[in-house]
Amino acid sequence: MKNLKILVAVISMTISMSYKAVTQDFTAREIIQKVYNRAEGDDQTSFLTMTLINKSGAERIRKIKQFTKDTGEMEKSIMFFQSPADVKNTSFMNWTYDDENQSDDQWIYLPALKKTKRISSDSKSDYFMGSDFTYDDLGDRKLDDDTHKLIGEKTIDGVDYYLVESTPKDEEYMYSKTKTWIRKDTFIGLKKEFYDEDEELLKILHIKKFEEFSGFLIITNSEMHNVQKDHKTTMVLSDVQINTGISDSKFTERMMMRGM
Amino acid sequence: MKTKGLMFILLLTASQVLIAQNVDINGFARTYEGALYNNGNFGIIQQTLNLTFEQLGDKVAFKVNPMAYLYNADSLDFRMRELYLDLYFKNFDIRIGNQQVVWGKADGVFITDIVSPLNLTEFLLPDFDEIRKGVIATKINYYLGNSTFEAIWIPAFTPTERPQPGSIWYVQPDFPVPPTWDLSKETITPSLENSEVFLKYTALTSAIDFELMGAYTWDDNPTLHVEKQFGIDSATMQPSLLGLNITPEHHRLTIGGGSFSSEIKGVILRGEAAYYNGKYFLTEDPLQPDGNIQKDYLHYLVGLDFNIGSVMFSSQFIQQTILDYENDILNEKTENTMTFLACYDMLRETMHLELFSYIGLTNEDALIRPKVTYDFDDSFSILLGSNIFVGDEKGRFGQYKENSMIYTKLKYSF
Repeated sequence: MKNLKILVAVISMTISMSYKAVTQDFTAREIIQKVYNRAEGDDQTSFLTMTLINKSGAERIRKIKQFTKDTGEMEKSIMFFQSPADVKNTSFMNWTYDDENQSDDQWIYLPALKKTKRISSDSKSDYFMGSDFTYDDLGDRKLDDDTHKLIGEKTIDGVDYYLVESTPKDEEYMYSKTKTWIRKDTFIGLKKEFYDEDEELLKILHIKKFEEFSGFLIITNSEMHNVQKDHKTTMVLSDVQINTGISDSKFTERMMMRGM
Repeated sequence: MKTKGLMFILLLTASQVLIAQNVDINGFARTYEGALYNNGNFGIIQQTLNLTFEQLGDKVAFKVNPMAYLYNADSLDFRMRELYLDLYFKNFDIRIGNQQVVWGKADGVFITDIVSPLNLTEFLLPDFDEIRKGVIATKINYYLGNSTFEAIWIPAFTPTERPQPGSIWYVQPDFPVPPTWDLSKETITPSLENSEVFLKYTALTSAIDFELMGAYTWDDNPTLHVEKQFGIDSATMQPSLLGLNITPEHHRLTIGGGSFSSEIKGVILRGEAAYYNGKYFLTEDPLQPDGNIQKDYLHYLVGLDFNIGSVMFSSQFIQQTILDYENDILNEKTENTMTFLACYDMLRETMHLELFSYIGLTNEDALIRPKVTYDFDDSFSILLGSNIFVGDEKGRFGQYKENSMIYTKLKYSF
């Protein structure tokens, strides 16, 4: 479990409503930068339901209440796991710093052990809670970790898209490349393909629904499909609240131990 | 047995009432069987029901956590793991009642983690969330930013629970002659004077997390005061030991210590240490009339947690040192132990592989605990594991060589 700010910030793919129809040309890097730097509000509260669906269609469901806050120098997030039963009341806290040279700080509280443990933030290629999303997929990826190339512009169902291919600079990275279909009007990546080390298609991310909350667009339904193993994960956000003035005291060990 | 059964029925009845009042209820049912490698006998046949009733409000919360253990077919052990009330204020919280308290950064080792006594009736084999006993206490936490000041007052001392004769975990003390036991001083009378006090300061920062603690407590393990009776051997006409009168007695301890954890390039570095003032140790020094001597004692640990690929590793080095050591003391001057843990999750985190071991460096013995857990679904899991004791039979782990076992646990969580 890691960097879950990002569950809200990127999986939700919050963007500002104050956009204008894009008529100018952007480089691929500028397009991805606009995707990564979407306005998110100062704080956000939401309820996440994550459904893991295996090849035969059997489902496992994880429910999480989550809070995020941008304090200016860092973004803090805290998650409270509500189900399944064996992880109920487990909480996870992440502090991500604006300084790219400073690693995230992460803690997990295990209610059975009654202990808050600092954990390593070094496993960005690990899958989050057995899902098809890695921590990087959830937003840990930095803009210049990849080389971006605009490989096309398409119109699908009347909507204009940029098609950007991103190739990691680290040759050992788990993906050889990704392709992202980005709406020109909102800079939301509505579809993303992930290719494995052999350049075979591994996963496809589909954004199924986004809604407006307090002037921000929030993607509330997304699905990641591992096409090689034919299993999927859906993430559905509900009870989304933006800029409610969450107190700094929400992001402390006290709250991790107390619960929601 | 009859009383415990009645309590259990009352509890189930109470649970119906709590359900009606929208109290959050969860827990697990578990069956646990283990067979000894040595002779195929079952070393453990245990059925467990764990119920947790919780209600969390903005200002008040409560938790009730009874556990029932049925051993074999007829021995019911009912334990109230926790039963407490929380009061929440702006900058501080108060918890009153039967509670478990966990301190420190060590895993599976108890250094500054001394508030809740242990249940060692099955050695160190129970899950660590079940090995601690609840204590009736008042705990106050005061919060200042990311710092916490914690004070705990325990009015009635509860000692560590140890295996009784008849248990496969009971170790018969080795005495030169059969002793007589005087248990008149074993119990601490609950009183203000006999209460325990624990203090802790915790800071959780981006660079480092640390705790500083102090305690005025009782030694969980009783000191065995030995009175020797001598006579004249009629054959040799030399003085000889005729008898031993042993009086177990808990003594006061003053303890200070601390712990920390920090991340350095993806590796979690942990440390923990405690200084025990005036702990009693058995000695053969003839100048010590009751066979004991008081010495200060240091217990510390350093540990690393790190990942290689998707495998999580953790290792700890632990040292216990008696300061100002004298050669007549029966304990070794230093005792070194290591722990090692490797974990790997596969099949979308439905299968969990784990290897945990204690390695006694001083006595060259070990407890090795491999296990594999498979989650059939989100509620039901099966575990297959083994506890393997190896090494010198004088060692803490090697002494249980005959108790190496294979075991399985089936667990339903709700």
